[in-house]
Amino acid sequence: MHEVSPALHTAEVVHWIALVVMAIVYTMRIRWLLSFNLAKDKSAPGNPGQSDKQRGARWSFFNVAMPWSMESTRKPKGFIFYMSFVIFHMGVVAGIALAFVSTIAPDFLRIPVVGYTTLVFLVAAFLVSVYRVFRRALRPLMRLISTPDDYFSLLMLTAWFGLGACTQAYLMGIWGMTSETLLVAYLYLTSFFLLYVPFSKISHYLYYPFTRTYIGRALGQRGSYPVVRG
Amino acid sequence: MMEEQLAKKLNRQVVGSLVGCVHCGMCDESCHYVLAFPDDHKMTPSYKADQVRKLFKANHDWTGSVFPWWVGADQVPLSDDDLETLKDIAFGTCTNCRRCTLSCPMGVDTATLNRVMRGLLTHVGVMPEGVRVVSKDQWELGNQMGVLKEDYIDTIEWMSEELEEDLGHNDAAIPLEKKGSKVMYCINPREVKYDPRTIKEAALIFHTAGEDWTMPEEGWDNTNFGLFSGDDGLGGACAKREYEKARELGVDKIVISECGHGFRSTRFEGVNWAGETEPVPMESSVMTMLNYIKDGKIKVDKTKNPEKMTFHDSCNNARSGGFFEEPRELLRLVSMDFQEMYPNRAENYCCTGGGGAMSMSEYTPKRLQSAKVKADQIRATGAKTVVTSCHNCVDGLNDLIKHYDLGCEVKQLVNLVANALVLDDDKKPAEVAEPGEIAVTKVAVEEPLAGRKILVVDDEEDVRTFLTTVFEDAGAEVVTASDGDEAVAMASEHQPDLISLDLSMPGKDGVETFVELRRTAETEEIPVCVVTGHPEFRQVIYDRPVTPPEGYLGKPVDEDKLVAYAHHIIEHREEKAN
Repeated sequence: MHEVSPALHTAEVVHWIALVVMAIVYTMRIRWLLSFNLAKDKSAPGNPGQSDKQRGARWSFFNVAMPWSMESTRKPKGFIFYMSFVIFHMGVVAGIALAFVSTIAPDFLRIPVVGYTTLVFLVAAFLVSVYRVFRRALRPLMRLISTPDDYFSLLMLTAWFGLGACTQAYLMGIWGMTSETLLVAYLYLTSFFLLYVPFSKISHYLYYPFTRTYIGRALGQRGSYPVVRG
Repeated sequence: MMEEQLAKKLNRQVVGSLVGCVHCGMCDESCHYVLAFPDDHKMTPSYKADQVRKLFKANHDWTGSVFPWWVGADQVPLSDDDLETLKDIAFGTCTNCRRCTLSCPMGVDTATLNRVMRGLLTHVGVMPEGVRVVSKDQWELGNQMGVLKEDYIDTIEWMSEELEEDLGHNDAAIPLEKKGSKVMYCINPREVKYDPRTIKEAALIFHTAGEDWTMPEEGWDNTNFGLFSGDDGLGGACAKREYEKARELGVDKIVISECGHGFRSTRFEGVNWAGETEPVPMESSVMTMLNYIKDGKIKVDKTKNPEKMTFHDSCNNARSGGFFEEPRELLRLVSMDFQEMYPNRAENYCCTGGGGAMSMSEYTPKRLQSAKVKADQIRATGAKTVVTSCHNCVDGLNDLIKHYDLGCEVKQLVNLVANALVLDDDKKPAEVAEPGEIAVTKVAVEEPLAGRKILVVDDEEDVRTFLTTVFEDAGAEVVTASDGDEAVAMASEHQPDLISLDLSMPGKDGVETFVELRRTAETEEIPVCVVTGHPEFRQVIYDRPVTPPEGYLGKPVDEDKLVAYAHHIIEHREEKAN
């Protein structure tokens, strides 16, 4: 194990406890979702030549990686938003990796290629986040459909990306970031994040496999998934 | 009450869609209402879905139960004004076309959520009048247009006689309630009431293919307002009528005439609503016709349909039924010049007549405005004929074609197949030598309206003159009126055999006039054929403040159709009276 200060040690312990709590709450969330009946389509496949609910489910599940699959991500305006989505979520992955790896193997994050890659993702995600804050706050449509939770979640992630970038810079000894407080603060913010997420819209990723699979199976059974364009 | 009902409607798929939305706004531009009203952000699909999401969060979501304001939860009970607003959103700004569902990165089925909202409102008695009346008729009479059994049978017999006259022999009678047939043919009540030629055309195709088929005396309505109103109970009841009739008749399969929501609700959703464990095999009549051609049971001559055509996918067929290649295959077999419209198939735009919109006349202006994207799609093809496989789409497209002055006509595949049919010698009409003309062969009746008196009511002089000429050429005596008051007075005085009534008139409009005619003792029994160019007046069919009109024709009027309708309506009225 790496040597840590008492403040950092406490932050790490809190962080791991938060992770366990999140896992428990998520387990309860999934059990709650599964407590509802799964509606089964008893009708015969819509089109023998095209109907395949497994194929529909697979296509639906992976369409997150197929921007051409949906009109909303295929059009130029939508594609730009899709790219921002990719960057944003790569930043989330980088931020989570930073939180965990920094507590067990911080030196790994100091390897230049790893460290700079993480940093680039975090900075890019921060910028996308700032754009999204303005988008949500300034566009009348987004204001209409946004709840306080939507704003708070986005602001929290923006701060998390920003703090994460500074923390990564601290670990790499660049940008003049020298205070361990950054890492401590980052871990506490991540802990809060882990505790808050199951109760907020951010838990959408927990539901993603379910919603995408359900709609994929339903429309795959009918024969309209995968979408055919003519 | 709504909370309890919502709890009953929750299943894993619905809950997934309720919790899965991240309010990213990506569904926005997939909706034809959003495209038509870009400054009205309440048109965005996620906003519409949030209306039911609010209720869900308040009652079923952890955070929403404790901090409702934080996640946009909303407690019930709602005020009457709230319910009216919800009604306008769920019924008036969404046709449940499901296009937004396909554009959601999270896989949220917004159209299903809107249907859930409709179901909750229906449960507490809040719905457009047209939906209420039609649903009631489907519960009580077994069909959505309040067609009485004797009227249905009379229309089938009428079409049967016409077909036999066309063919010149008695082998082509439309079989009714024939047990042990292979095929039970179910139709849309619109066909019985306002477009019976499609029944005749289908009958001709079945006859030519040598099919062993029948139409049922009951359980014949393939439409299902349960799909539109969100009432699964009604949905199950309607579908069950067809399934049980099919089992009673011992048929091999149900063939569903070209009706998008009828196909979806009978073929798919009805099976689930009715709790069927071994559903009767079912197919669209498009599939049946296609197979007849492929199997060599019927022959077609595509040169009979030479004009440039485009195809409109019904949302229920394409997006919710995976049924989009077969109609195209059939269309290519029976027409010379097919031009695809874009986008198409599952990504096609709604005709704007779906989701029961045709029965909600209060939302017609908004619906027609939302149809701009569809009008642009059609215009871009350069086609003058739009083909579709859905009766709702026929009406929806006809409305938007008039509204946007596209100068197109709408046809269904059954019209094209019947027109392209090449008849074998033994099936040819006795006096017609050329093949393929059977669908347009007319019985030569010199003056079918001889001895009849018809009251023509229209505020436009040129229209009155035109209608008068058509009726007089058919042998009728014609009297005219130019406004509602005069119409009521003339009807009482002359006791005509039929009233041809325009609905758009200054002063007392046609709807008021129609209601007054129906409520006046001297005129209540006089049959009325509505002739109108305004789609919102379909309220006389759906809202039905009084018995609906015996006929309903859109302007511009086809002369032959008008005379045929007038003749049938008068004959039918006399038969009933006797």
